[in-house]
Amino acid sequence: MPKAHVVLVTGVAGYWGNRVAAQLIEHPGWHVIGLDSDPPKEEIEGLDFIQADVRNPVLVDLLEQEKVDTVCHLAFIESFRSNEAAFDLNVMGAMKVLGACAATSVRKVVLKSSTLVYGAHPGNSAFLREEHPLQGCRRYEYIRDLVEIEAFCNGFRGQSPHVWLTILRFAHIVGPKVDTPMTRFLRQEQAPMLLGFDPMMQVIHEVDVRRALVHAVQHDVPGVFNVAAESVMPLARVMGLAGKPPLPVLHPLAYLGVTLLGPHYAPIELDYLRYPCVGDLSKMRAALDFEPHYTAEETLREFAAQQRLRHYLPESAAMAYDEERLRDTLERRRRSRGQPVATREPAPRPSRRRTKSQGQAHVKDGENGHG
Amino acid sequence: MAEKDTSTRRAAKSRSRRRTESVTQSTESRTAHDPAKPKRRMRRRAPQADVSVIETQTESEEAESPQPEADVPHLALRRQLIVELEELVKRLRALHPSYSAQPFSARGMLDMIEEGAEKVVPGFGSGLIEKARKFISEDLFDPDTWKGLLYMLNTSVESRVDVVRRRLTGEYETDEWGMDREYIEAVRPFFEFMYRKYWRVEMSGVENIPPEGRVLLVVNHSGQLPWDGAMLGTGVLLEHPHHRLVRSLYAAWFPTLPFLADLFVKMGQVLATDDNGMRLLEQDQLVAVYPEGYKGVGKLYKERYRLARFGRGGFVKMALKTRAPLIPVAVVGAEETYISLAKSNLMAKITGFPYFPISPTFPWTGLFGFVPLPTKWSIDIGAPILMDGYGANADRNLVLVSQLTDQMRNIVQEMIFARLAQRRSVFFG
Repeated sequence: MPKAHVVLVTGVAGYWGNRVAAQLIEHPGWHVIGLDSDPPKEEIEGLDFIQADVRNPVLVDLLEQEKVDTVCHLAFIESFRSNEAAFDLNVMGAMKVLGACAATSVRKVVLKSSTLVYGAHPGNSAFLREEHPLQGCRRYEYIRDLVEIEAFCNGFRGQSPHVWLTILRFAHIVGPKVDTPMTRFLRQEQAPMLLGFDPMMQVIHEVDVRRALVHAVQHDVPGVFNVAAESVMPLARVMGLAGKPPLPVLHPLAYLGVTLLGPHYAPIELDYLRYPCVGDLSKMRAALDFEPHYTAEETLREFAAQQRLRHYLPESAAMAYDEERLRDTLERRRRSRGQPVATREPAPRPSRRRTKSQGQAHVKDGENGHG
Repeated sequence: MAEKDTSTRRAAKSRSRRRTESVTQSTESRTAHDPAKPKRRMRRRAPQADVSVIETQTESEEAESPQPEADVPHLALRRQLIVELEELVKRLRALHPSYSAQPFSARGMLDMIEEGAEKVVPGFGSGLIEKARKFISEDLFDPDTWKGLLYMLNTSVESRVDVVRRRLTGEYETDEWGMDREYIEAVRPFFEFMYRKYWRVEMSGVENIPPEGRVLLVVNHSGQLPWDGAMLGTGVLLEHPHHRLVRSLYAAWFPTLPFLADLFVKMGQVLATDDNGMRLLEQDQLVAVYPEGYKGVGKLYKERYRLARFGRGGFVKMALKTRAPLIPVAVVGAEETYISLAKSNLMAKITGFPYFPISPTFPWTGLFGFVPLPTKWSIDIGAPILMDGYGANADRNLVLVSQLTDQMRNIVQEMIFARLAQRRSVFFG
């Protein structure tokens, strides 16, 4: 079977790497190699998993030998506090991956960034275009790292014009499953709002983030793009739709509190609750040719519904009633004991997990052999 | 039902009769205790239906209708008690002529107010207090009054609760700039008051603003606080046949101020940046610019009505790029709302204000210093200047841009002088 495209997804054990790799595999004609220092918690059928760190210098050989066409770099640690380990993985990791891509025949690289890199400033236009200078806040490690990576990318673009760089700057990501600064902010017991400030906000659904990344991998769209859901709305409305009554705080007190208590108490930097930081989406529609499925209202209402439901569900509901997962586990155990794979259930449903492909077993065997 | 109604009406009549008696009494000896009071207390304690029965009884007795008292012995007893009580009160009053009603009762409060007012303005109590007294004594004991009040209160609270609930759950709409129609409707009465009553703004030439399509208003800026923008917006919203919303471009200082930042955005105003202006004009909005900026708004009193430099001509570039007609607007009257005698650079640095005016009332009197003077305003809207005749890249022609900038400045200045020449008084126009 001719593999037209070989994609390397880094950070495949993480949330985004995992989802993106899983969706890419579903498309025929794509060979997906997953790279991470830890194996993914949920095994992905058909994923060609290689356990290695992105900073490994042998990555160049890997890219060359596997004839990798596209790299989707998603290894990133969202750290609030200043954190040397996170900086090393995020910034140095991205630099090393990009360097390796430039040295090999990799055609394009897809990176996930955030509109937070523009920074929230009183002089911001209502809709920031991609050319806007990156003045993201330096206090939060994850924003600082993104700004660093993007600054490096700007230089990289000039040095290695043969590598197409697609950077997607996502607005605040919200979704029932994902853990992002925005969902953390909305899941807090008391979510603060700065008294007398109500900046405009953009959000995007986690599913649309995954779709956009897959879209960028599958289409040749070099450039930087803001990606967000359709409507822009004030923060008070975001919180209202997400079912989180705001707690108004005087802004000098809030800044003092964060300075004293640390950024964990404010998952979103306070400037972003004070000034607007909204991306212009015209380039997303025209050049990227991507349209999110979810509007901001739908995204937030879904989040609110899930937050309400959370109180009524048993804690391990997902685990307890997921028969597919149990079936998979049983099969794996059977296989590891050398027994023949049991025949499928009478009524097979079209599901990714249940239709096991050979690739997974192959990787598994290979690993066992090494051990 | 009808029977009960008539009985209550009759009861009210008899009550009012009694009231006039007591009023005459009290006018005779104001300090003396009102004999009607304990009687009313008694009646109030009895259920309402009974009261009406008593009243009808008294009335029927007065009308000499044969009604056997034995049928209602407890009523007879009550009446007897009332008579006794009245006599007791009379005796008490004789013993303590200085006694007056308790101040915590509604009636006592009125007595007190009346007494106090009488000392200051003789004859004050006769009209207003009499009315209030009548209202308290008559309507206050009518259950329908309370029902009506409760009903009104309930509806208004319910509608408020509904609004609050909708706002809290995010069920409202804003446009992409954050303009919130509900919010504008909520604050509009205040601005309407300032427009019509406080500054008595006279707007002329509002028909020069087309019913739709992109327009760039070029306005002089004055008055320390951006009241001129608020009044221009209010005026066009009220007096333009299509009630167009003016999008004023404001300076980057306002987004840093709590509440004002919020207010500006919700009222549809937009931060002055090139991108914002272009986007608004491309959406065919009515945009207002104040090219003088801080230099204009923070003018000293002695420099009033002398236009400052019109920025760097960014507004002309915007108009040339989007082919939006320029309309000059002259606001007269706003310069005198605050009298800025000097500017303090030190205070500006400390407070972070772009300028810090020193006026006779600011900053010495605190918040009172923010109260503007009620001058008479006029807003003149000039004829549009079309941008169609210029070439494709006219916005890059710096000579043309600076010429148009100066031209606009001269037009606005002339319009201001024309208005000032007609003005006789700062406060009366």
